[in-house]
Amino acid sequence: MKQIIVIFSVMLLIANFQVSAQDAREISKKAMDAIEVTDMEMISTINIHDGKGNVRVRQISTASRRFSDCSKMIIKFLAPADVKGTTLLVYDYEDQEDSQWIYMPALRKVRRIVSTEKSKNFMGSEFTNADMSKPNLNDYNYKLLKEDTFNDKKCWVIEAKAKDDKVRQENGFAKRVSYIDKETSFCYKIEYYDASDNQQRKQLISDYRKQSNGKNFAHKMVMQNVQNGRKSEMIVDKFQLGSKLPEATFSPSAIEN
Amino acid sequence: MIRKIKTNLFTIRYRWLIIGVTILAVLISALWLFKLKINSDLESYMPEDMPARQQSKIINEVFGYEEPLLIVIENEDVLEENTLSRIERIADDFANDSRFSNVFSLFHAKNIRSEDGVMIVDPVISRIPQTENERDSLKNEIRSNKLVYGLVVSEDFKNALIILSSNKTAKDAELMSFVNQVLENNPGPEEVYVTGQPYLRDDAEKKIAQDLFVILPIGLLLMFLMLWFSFKELKAVLLPFSVVVFSIIVCIGLIPLLGWELGLIGVLIPIMMIAIANNYGVYFIARYQDLNANQPQLSMYKIVDHSVKYLTKPVLFCGLTTIVGVLGLVTHILLPAQQMGVVTSIGIGFALIVSLFFIPSVMSFMKKGKPFKKENGESKDFFLPLTKGVGNLVTKHPKWVFGIFITLFIICTSGLFYFKVAPDWNGVMPDDHPFNKGIQVVDKDFGGSKMLNVMFEGDVKEPKLMNKLIECEEGLKELPNVGSVASLATIVKEISKALNDSNSVYFDQIPDNREAIAQYLELYTMSSDPEDVERFVDFDYTKTLMTVQFTAKSISDVEDVIKKLDEITGEDAEFHYVAGGYPLVEIAMSQSILTGQYYSLLFAFVAIIILLSIIFRSLVAGLIGSLPLAFAVFCTFGLMGWLGMELNIVTALLSSISIGLGVDFTIHVFWRIKWELAAGNNYVDSIKNTLTTIGRGITINAFSVMVGFAVAFTSAFPIIHSFAFLIIISLFLCLICALVFIPAFALILKPKFLERK
Repeated sequence: MKQIIVIFSVMLLIANFQVSAQDAREISKKAMDAIEVTDMEMISTINIHDGKGNVRVRQISTASRRFSDCSKMIIKFLAPADVKGTTLLVYDYEDQEDSQWIYMPALRKVRRIVSTEKSKNFMGSEFTNADMSKPNLNDYNYKLLKEDTFNDKKCWVIEAKAKDDKVRQENGFAKRVSYIDKETSFCYKIEYYDASDNQQRKQLISDYRKQSNGKNFAHKMVMQNVQNGRKSEMIVDKFQLGSKLPEATFSPSAIEN
Repeated sequence: MIRKIKTNLFTIRYRWLIIGVTILAVLISALWLFKLKINSDLESYMPEDMPARQQSKIINEVFGYEEPLLIVIENEDVLEENTLSRIERIADDFANDSRFSNVFSLFHAKNIRSEDGVMIVDPVISRIPQTENERDSLKNEIRSNKLVYGLVVSEDFKNALIILSSNKTAKDAELMSFVNQVLENNPGPEEVYVTGQPYLRDDAEKKIAQDLFVILPIGLLLMFLMLWFSFKELKAVLLPFSVVVFSIIVCIGLIPLLGWELGLIGVLIPIMMIAIANNYGVYFIARYQDLNANQPQLSMYKIVDHSVKYLTKPVLFCGLTTIVGVLGLVTHILLPAQQMGVVTSIGIGFALIVSLFFIPSVMSFMKKGKPFKKENGESKDFFLPLTKGVGNLVTKHPKWVFGIFITLFIICTSGLFYFKVAPDWNGVMPDDHPFNKGIQVVDKDFGGSKMLNVMFEGDVKEPKLMNKLIECEEGLKELPNVGSVASLATIVKEISKALNDSNSVYFDQIPDNREAIAQYLELYTMSSDPEDVERFVDFDYTKTLMTVQFTAKSISDVEDVIKKLDEITGEDAEFHYVAGGYPLVEIAMSQSILTGQYYSLLFAFVAIIILLSIIFRSLVAGLIGSLPLAFAVFCTFGLMGWLGMELNIVTALLSSISIGLGVDFTIHVFWRIKWELAAGNNYVDSIKNTLTTIGRGITINAFSVMVGFAVAFTSAFPIIHSFAFLIIISLFLCLICALVFIPAFALILKPKFLERK
């Protein structure tokens, strides 16, 4: 009996060693790589719930392509009617600040806008601009918190803490706790915390669909603001991997048309 | 005769029962004291269905139940590196805390500008200036920013403001403890003032508790000394003193028993009981000492018997009239005033019953003390020569006395022209309290501490409504007391300045079509913080909020703002608005206080006239008896005008209480003159005798009540000090009216009811 207990304990130790050996940073990187899509076109609907039963619905079309050192993206409003046609053009540079232009049909003018605040809300939803772009892996310290199950899937629970105040302020949160599928590396849930360790928001990601390039793309994301009860859903209505739009389309003069 | 002996026998025969029941009632009440809760929320003193509160509720339901808390930071130049860094750290600490839904400071404010055709929405301070030149350049930028200049930084750059919006998830004590902690964690040489309702409530709550612990022992000690100097006999002091203690316990115990909370006004309850509860017992003791001195052969039983026989009726009448006067508070609009009316009436009733039964019962157990006279036969009393002198004066020159009173009345009441009602609750704290200092800075440098919320309904993106908002903004800003007006239209115009060239027709204008406004706002939410917009508009863009910041020294300053809004929006239902906010609740309260004052005065006067008419079986008695009260009340209000003292939530209680107390003196004077006349004396002798006998009791009683109320000067609240001062003046006027005016008037008129046997 004693022997059995010793063997069992050794097994547990080995298992524990294997878990610890898993690099939390690596798990996070794998999760990012699993969904990395640069060129695409899609139509999506954003439902913004105010927590009191009111819903604001927005439909947008997005086209994104990578050109040398810059990812270019066009986001165009399809609904509601009063902002239909409003188009945002974003140049996302790797080593310099983003450039943004907006076309407002009511003014028939393209205007360049500058916003340095990634922590601000995306299209008035509970998502932030930071949520819409790929996070910089080096900005955070990673820690494997535990193993857990989420919707019957075995997950790693990874904590990513902002390395400094600048990163925290830029992205609007101090800590992120992600539930990453041990098998597929899909991320199902992310909790965001402020500097006082109070939970701010909770994101649920689902409906991952495999694309022709082997990568995956989540078709449903729900962001819940834990503090004010508001919730935003982003549902991908139509998705196409890759984009054939020429580079000229991604220019300030072109979005007027 | 038989009936009276029976009554007397009751207090002696059942004395153990009477003592036991009294002590049991006190013990039961004492148990309830532990459940007493304090409520310092002044707004909750108003009825919930009051239109001003309902309007605020409608707005809060749409735009959230947020409550502002202002932090003022004062320095020679708030843009100095260290000061700015301190402001940033403090603002950051608050912004990172979930108890605040919004933090607005120099570091959160936006600068919407156009640079080389690019619309830029940046924080006003993205980097703290290090040099004089950088500071000057920042000052210039701030001067041209309507969303900042005069709103979060004063025009002379000597004060900066951090506006915190509490989401009301934390209790005031917890919130203020956190605020103080943040300020302590970020020390600096700058002066910091905190102001706002959570601070006022938290500090008021502490002060109410502090008042109870300070006022009660001081008051009881003063009362003890007062009784000692009056009677100089321990048992003569302890009996009325025990009635005071018992009544306070019963009175305060009633508050939790009835499911109420002790409000700021409630501080007056123990003060009132200290002042009033000994009244009835004092007359028994004075009578006992009188009989002991003049008829030393009487046994204690006989003294008790005679005292009860002589005093039961007038003491009962005095108690009832006081209760009726204090019950006038029930007609008051303020809930704690109504509750105080009920609780103190019961407390006074209890004191009356205990004085009529408990005191004689206990007295019957006691041995007689030494007679209260000097060896040469003169009274040891200080008041006697005084009342004797008054008697001589009144009987020699009644018409002169009458004339002097009329002149005094005219002089005092002409102050009514300067009589003012407090427009807000700021007077609750002293002028030099940080709460009021903060208000003074905000009034002087940040457009005003009064914040009015005006909600318009309609299609918010429609240019017609937007232009109406601009019209309101411009119209309101014409008023001298309005500091700033902000609405969604302000933001839309700022965006138009950033998006259009200065020579464009669209520059600094509301766009002429709905889509353009929608796209401006969409652009703003994409380039900045949607919360900036959501402060002014609801989720589905059907309701929009305009905030008006102003100063108000009187009710009319607040009314002017509303009048102006009415004038601009006119009768058009399209521009129907709902206005809410503390200033409206405050002025509604002030107006209600004034109306409540009329009602409680009317109630008290009518009730007192009826009671006096019944007691003396003459309407003339009711009318003459109410004259001292009218004299005292109107002279006190006139003096308030002359002295610049405002009618507020506490001074509004004055008239009911002073009528309730003051009428006692008149009853005693009438009673004694009537008794003297019935004994065959003429008017002059009757008046002289009245003043030297019951006059002494009245004077001792009046001074002990005044001393009782003087305890209120130790309160932490200045409005309670004003109350103490005015009630003492009022009672003094009632006293001189009863001792001087009433005898003179009776001598001139010789009313029949006094002569009736």
